[in-house]
Amino acid sequence: MVLLCGIPSESPLALVGAQLRRLGVPHVFLNQRRFAYTDLWFALSNGHVSGRLSLDGRAYRLEDFRGVYTRLMDDRALPELKDEPEDSERSRRSHALLDTLMQWCEVTPARVVNRTAPMGSNSSKPYQSQLIREQGFSIPETLITNDPELVREFLSRHQQLIYKSISGIRSVVETLDESALARLDHIRWCPTQFQEYIPGKNVRVHTIDTRVFATEVVSNVTDYRYAHLHRNGETTLSPTQLPDKLADRCLRLSRTLGLAFAGIDLKVTPDERVYCLEVNPSPAFSYYESNTGQPIAEAVARFLSGHWA
Amino acid sequence: MWLVLCETQDVAAQWAYLGLRARGVEPLELLTSANLAQAVSWEHRLGDKGAYTTFTLADGRRISSDAVRGALNRLLTAPSALLPLARPSEKEYASQELVSFFLSWLHSLPGPVLNRATPQGLSGQWRHLSEWVCLAAGAGLPVSSYALSTETGTGYAPFQSSLAPPGAAVRTVLVLANQVVGDSIPEAMAEGCRRLGQLSNTALLGIDFAANAEGYWTFASATPLPDLRPGGEALLDALATELTRG
Repeated sequence: MVLLCGIPSESPLALVGAQLRRLGVPHVFLNQRRFAYTDLWFALSNGHVSGRLSLDGRAYRLEDFRGVYTRLMDDRALPELKDEPEDSERSRRSHALLDTLMQWCEVTPARVVNRTAPMGSNSSKPYQSQLIREQGFSIPETLITNDPELVREFLSRHQQLIYKSISGIRSVVETLDESALARLDHIRWCPTQFQEYIPGKNVRVHTIDTRVFATEVVSNVTDYRYAHLHRNGETTLSPTQLPDKLADRCLRLSRTLGLAFAGIDLKVTPDERVYCLEVNPSPAFSYYESNTGQPIAEAVARFLSGHWA
Repeated sequence: MWLVLCETQDVAAQWAYLGLRARGVEPLELLTSANLAQAVSWEHRLGDKGAYTTFTLADGRRISSDAVRGALNRLLTAPSALLPLARPSEKEYASQELVSFFLSWLHSLPGPVLNRATPQGLSGQWRHLSEWVCLAAGAGLPVSSYALSTETGTGYAPFQSSLAPPGAAVRTVLVLANQVVGDSIPEAMAEGCRRLGQLSNTALLGIDFAANAEGYWTFASATPLPDLRPGGEALLDALATELTRG
């Protein structure tokens, strides 16, 4: 049996659920919004993990779950907890469920996509870049500083720079233009990341266990995820094939990071040099699947259920 | 140059700093979170050649990664003197950016680092007690049963950090580079402690054992940020050896 955790209507979770249904794999949704009607306990004894999950009064043995897919959200953003004080009984109950579920995911022998600890590398982009580089990928020349003079000197060497957040909080990637340069003194408050702009084509690679799905992304804006926010911004996605060596390197990177499922952002320059910009440990793959038809959800479903047939 | 990185009130780190200096580990810089919070400039570079960092402190000290040969790292969080001044809407973002920055810098420190930063802790990986229990069992240490529950009135204790019953006798050991120092424990348990250090990928690990109702010593807790002083002179010797190896 497979456990799907999150909001059942959320696209990636819904797509994987649909594929499990199609494959005839027993599965159950743990709807995070139903925290008030969900109970969970687990026990550890002599290294063996056991426990019980109760969903709307129906109980399941945790030992029966062979696969777990988590798309859990920060529960403070749940509609059910809107305007709810942090220390209210309802908030506490939701936090307890989230916490207990995440702790169980760290110790269960089931296939978990993905466990919490390995997902942590994405909380610091420059930290993750160091791990990426160790796997043989090029990384953009990067400067993180609170000194505006160093940024100007860095710009003079690279002609075009982008800047973006370094933490797990999502930000729009921006080009360092004249208006940003005019605000450069603000970085004295907090070291900020600047990177050489890498020209070339964007390739998003989804790895799931031993399978690789590569998508070429062509866009006329710096951050293709936000093309819709630009007037005349356009992005087109199409399936592409990676050379075997590069595909293997992507799989090795995901394995090294401990990620069964990953979204790897590559930039391939006109002279075929491959930069790895980031590895997303909880990829919203539905955007790519719906634009290309690549069977990513099916691959995730097959991995969770333990069969590739 | 070697670094001792710690919170301002970390007396165990300051004890280790004096002990390392007495063993000739020099030049040795003690950098507290207060020092780091007042750094006037940071330069952290990444590229195909690796990582390079230079920062200048308010007292004029300039620390360059080129000169660092190892570190005892006990930082708990990213220090910032300016964070309280951030707008409320930007405080969480700024805080996470700083933690991310410190994680990258600390991870990139050259030489032996005890402990190297991870996303789950700037001075090594912090784990929930359930994970330690699982790892300890895997390391062959005697472990009591453990349970966590959301059910009302039953065992949801998210902040429980030890299996030691209140008032129980506790023995503390520290594992560093395959050496187990501190309180006396049987060799078989010491071997389990070494395995736990390896399984948890934690170079410097503190482990507590508690006497159970039958009088047997069982695993109680583990931490990447132990009080170093129970390790005594043996730990200081091991720290000096480990930091200066190679």
